[in-house]
Amino acid sequence: MNRGFFHSKTVTVIFWLCMSMLTLVPIWWMFLVSVKRRVDLFGAPSFFLDVSSMTWDNYAVVLGNPVFRKYMFNSLVVATSNAVLVSVLALLAAYAMSRYKLPGKDNIFFWVLTNRMAPPAVFLLPLFLLYTTVFVVGDWSLFDTRIGLILLYCVFNLPFAFWLLQGMVDGIPQELDEAAYVDGASTFYVLRTVIFPLARPGLAVTAILTWVFAWNEYLFASTLTSVHARTITTGLAEFVTVTGTNWGQLAAVAVLTLLPAALVLALVQRHIVAGLTFGAVKG
Amino acid sequence: MLAPTLFILFITGFVPFLYVLVVSFFDWNTFAQNPEPQFAGVNNFRRLVFDEAFLKSVGLTLKFTFFVLVSQLVIGFALAKLMMRNFPLKGLFRTVHTLPLMIAPIAVGATWRLMTVPGLGPIPHFMGKWFDISYVLSRFPDQAFATVVIMDIWHWTPLVTLTLLAGLSNVPEEPLEQARIDGAREWRIFWDITLPFLKPVLLTTIFIRLMDALRTVDEVWMLTGGGPGAATRFIGLYIWKIVFPKTDYGYGSAMSVLTLYMTIVLCWLLYVAMTGMKENKK
Amino acid sequence: MIKRLLASTALTLAMGGAACADFWSDASTEYKGVTIRGISESTPPSNYVRDVLAPAFTEATGIVVELETTSWDQMFDKAIKDMEANSGIYDFVYVEQDIIYSYLARDFLVDVTAALDANPDLKAPDFSFEDFTTFIDNFRGDNGDIFGIPMEAFIKVYLYRKDLFEDPEHQAAFKEKYGYDLAPAVTFDQWRDNAEYFSELDPNDQLWGTTVQASSGHVASFYEFFESIAPTFGLYDWGINVEKGAASVEKGGSMNSETAKKALAFWISLLDYAPPEATSSTWDEVASTFAAGRAAQGWVYGENAAWIATNSEKSSVVGKVGVTLPPVADGVMEAAEAGEGYIGYYDGGAFSIPHSSRNKEAALLWLQYIGQPSVQADWAVAGSRVVHQATYDDPKVQAQDAKADGYYTLMKDKGYLFKGAPEYPFHAQVRETVAPFIYEAIIGQLDPSEALDKAAAAADAEMKQLGYGQ
Repeated sequence: MNRGFFHSKTVTVIFWLCMSMLTLVPIWWMFLVSVKRRVDLFGAPSFFLDVSSMTWDNYAVVLGNPVFRKYMFNSLVVATSNAVLVSVLALLAAYAMSRYKLPGKDNIFFWVLTNRMAPPAVFLLPLFLLYTTVFVVGDWSLFDTRIGLILLYCVFNLPFAFWLLQGMVDGIPQELDEAAYVDGASTFYVLRTVIFPLARPGLAVTAILTWVFAWNEYLFASTLTSVHARTITTGLAEFVTVTGTNWGQLAAVAVLTLLPAALVLALVQRHIVAGLTFGAVKG
Repeated sequence: MLAPTLFILFITGFVPFLYVLVVSFFDWNTFAQNPEPQFAGVNNFRRLVFDEAFLKSVGLTLKFTFFVLVSQLVIGFALAKLMMRNFPLKGLFRTVHTLPLMIAPIAVGATWRLMTVPGLGPIPHFMGKWFDISYVLSRFPDQAFATVVIMDIWHWTPLVTLTLLAGLSNVPEEPLEQARIDGAREWRIFWDITLPFLKPVLLTTIFIRLMDALRTVDEVWMLTGGGPGAATRFIGLYIWKIVFPKTDYGYGSAMSVLTLYMTIVLCWLLYVAMTGMKENKK
Repeated sequence: MIKRLLASTALTLAMGGAACADFWSDASTEYKGVTIRGISESTPPSNYVRDVLAPAFTEATGIVVELETTSWDQMFDKAIKDMEANSGIYDFVYVEQDIIYSYLARDFLVDVTAALDANPDLKAPDFSFEDFTTFIDNFRGDNGDIFGIPMEAFIKVYLYRKDLFEDPEHQAAFKEKYGYDLAPAVTFDQWRDNAEYFSELDPNDQLWGTTVQASSGHVASFYEFFESIAPTFGLYDWGINVEKGAASVEKGGSMNSETAKKALAFWISLLDYAPPEATSSTWDEVASTFAAGRAAQGWVYGENAAWIATNSEKSSVVGKVGVTLPPVADGVMEAAEAGEGYIGYYDGGAFSIPHSSRNKEAALLWLQYIGQPSVQADWAVAGSRVVHQATYDDPKVQAQDAKADGYYTLMKDKGYLFKGAPEYPFHAQVRETVAPFIYEAIIGQLDPSEALDKAAAAADAEMKQLGYGQ
């Protein structure tokens, strides 16, 4: 065997074709189930799309349901607001960590990360009680509000964003902002004109990934919302135990859940690798 | 500037943690004869040490984490290496490969459930047809565990590929070229040049995956519900079962505290390894 | 009690029929625009409430009803947390018959009888506790008052495929193989023979002998065994001796008695003749397995009987469903007739108002609205649930009854042989403790006898921990 064979473009492409098939099979299958009629579900499975018996009914039912559209809208609002909030806060924090001498810097950094380590089930009970009985103004409480979720998702997104951006900010030469300070610029001005443009690729990746994490979150959303602020992932779970085990609709919801995230990915995928360098890369 | 971040994390992370910590020293079950919390000292922790089911869950979680970490690192590294080459349609393949990463864990669970439902899913069908294996996820613990591991590999390998790809792209070309000219073997080049450059990013990747693998709940809950028996009842799921259906708040909190502690210790070791290396390099 | 009865009768007489039409809008003037929220399991009866009754109630009163229908597990979880935290999210909650004792023990729920007595203005003229079947007695507190308005009730029955059992070819082949006539099972051996016969017909026909609700990771299997199978063998109330707070035979219970072990061994042996999804089946999957024509017989929750037998969009066995009583061991039927035992599970639930509700008056109106005689029949047709005695005689229900092979008549005539879950305040706790051992028995990691020994010991320990045991 010669090495040239393995390194040839054709072999590489064929290999990646196979890999892509492996990646896509479960997703493709989910799509197939979502366009099947209920009576066609069982029987010998086939990976080919039978156009003659395919139906969009499952999607029509799901999208025709105003409750479901509301879940989708909630997910959009929560994920987007959270991603923006987290990116901004994390950039500020990362800048502070990077430029100022702070006592116990490493410990702060590690403590921030520990917030992402906790199994989410651990925090459900206390958060529920906090949201329903402590953060209450009159009849209004944080429970079942989109604001509540937006704040809560910081607990796993902020550490992640912070970590990602730290590497990015550390990589920006300190001389640049020092030069600006010498010219009498304010911190805010430096952030806006020096740091922000240079950190943009990192910020984009941070925003996208935190958006995806927030969009995908399930356990908190299922416990801390009930009607108004429910998100699409909880809608998906609700379909599981609904009478008759409605696989077609379950698949349709799942497809609708992954669609926006997949779209975002397709739009920005080339930036992702560039931004995914994390704090440690700098070493 | 650090303050808003610390403040939010204090409210959403630290306060609940303190609460859990306090509750872990109480006997508290809503439906006990006495539903009020009773101070119980370290009783809950004593119970934990002798709780076979809990220890089994810990073992399972560690086993799961080990399997997925090793597989993902090996596969992810191989794929990242392959991604370094130039070939047609590279961008497209990379997007496709990254796709699972974007899917909600709960939807991943749903996807794999659709693949494995008897009578409907292709996996049981083709396992029976081609290999004459009776594949019933809810009946054979080993199959369930293996499926959960494969699902996680499918879901998270792309993250490893991407981070390692970012790392590999940062390895400077010159030393590699030089070594090749000097006639060094490929694996020596890898060991002496690539790996040291890659080490920080490798450790970071392990760190992220370790954290997330230890807290896996959603997809497993959706696929197997922790079954069959206790075959995929990882710590997160077990805690959930104790705290919610069983409303055993005190015991569940103790379990949470211990789990969090173990996770932090594991991560701390890695973190020390990472920062230690930073210093060495300086 | 009698006083209340007189009062309500007098009120009904005084208001007369004409006033009925206006009652809802009159009584609700103060509450127009109020939103009341509830939570329930997503089942046919609850979905009917959400889609039909709630909009109708809003139309009549101006009170908005938001009903969240979700999975069974989440429903309990959220309702309990709300009541525990006194957060007032829900104005009415679904209370299943088996959890009411836990809720009453914690005083979570509003006494509906007392609330109506205290607010005569809110008492709907055509609502009366007397209309309900005896199922409502499940929701009485120690003082005899009602704490929940039943919204669904059904029995878990034995369903079989009439077309298969009446097919002359099958009848002949069965007789040749087993030496007696093919018929719906009345004994356990017969059940097993039936199951074996239909399973072995043709390995590729996608037809199995029986359903088994044997999820190896969900408490549905615990319920099928302890509330449907064990009683037919003569093991009642989960085998727990509540006076002694004991489950194990050594301490005075019977969870690991010989009867229990025999019942579990039998039930698990049925898995050999069940479709592969049996080990992941909850009540929902059992119903869809049967509806997909994948099983010849089995225990199915009655709430699904109507759609399985009549809805051709979802079910492929329309018109082929037979309904009858399940097989029982010797002496069990006699004991049930005498009121000393029971032969299966009489399940159902009610809507109750938690003390934490901020809109108790509006919720009280709503509870009466769903408890009126006029809404019962259509609801019974849609969700095969009956909570009023008169519903059985409604022409719509009788028409549906004919299509569903007499399910409603069976429930009416034989419902008294069935019983709900035992009155345990530690219901969920002991269930969660015992269920894992049942799971392990299902997947064969423990043999049935060992599983029950361990389960009983664990249940003893749990009851002790909770303060109910020795």
